[in-house]
Amino acid sequence: MLVLTRKLHQSIVIGDGIEVVVLEVRGEQVRIGIKAPKNVAVHRKEIYDQIQEENRSSTDVRPEDIPE
Amino acid sequence: MNNIEENIVATSRFGEVAFAPDDVVDFPRGLIGFPALHQFVILRLNETSAFRWLQSLDDPRVAFLVTDPKTYLADYAPPSADAEQHLVLTTVNIPHGKPEEMTINLAGPIVINAETRQARQTVLDSEAYTTRYRVFAKESRPPEEIAA
Repeated sequence: MLVLTRKLHQSIVIGDGIEVVVLEVRGEQVRIGIKAPKNVAVHRKEIYDQIQEENRSSTDVRPEDIPE
Repeated sequence: MNNIEENIVATSRFGEVAFAPDDVVDFPRGLIGFPALHQFVILRLNETSAFRWLQSLDDPRVAFLVTDPKTYLADYAPPSADAEQHLVLTTVNIPHGKPEEMTINLAGPIVINAETRQARQTVLDSEAYTTRYRVFAKESRPPEEIAA
């Protein structure tokens, strides 16, 4: 993992068209702005992980448990 | 001898299943957590069931239980789907032996273009949509509408 330290309002550029900027720091929360092309998905990791887990669980359903 | 218009997939759950090439749904980016699975067919359990299996053709062991979320939430309309062109499905999770605890994933709808048969799983990253909507719980509240 590449680790960089940024100050408020400083940015990071990823690849050709993605920019990540620190917008606000308040206590333990950091507000992050992301500029990316429309075809690049950007999501909170917890959501992504939860969806992955639900996908996996749906492959594990027993046919006999499915309601009529 | 196989009818040349018919293909067969040997699934782990259902044995051999026949499908037509037109039934194939293509996920260019796979599903979340399953990026290498691209070709699927949608299998019905029977004529009347609201549930379907999204069966992988790339890995016959993998099939996702899915359903039409509108069966439980008439107003569910992900911003990424156009009702006329798109079929929206959500994955279904049923803890073993507990059908009353069935949940559907409203935050990760599968959107299929009915005409092109191209599909993707979209992420709705919003507090309005839960990954585990309990369809049978009386206290489940439908997600509030959010501005597009």
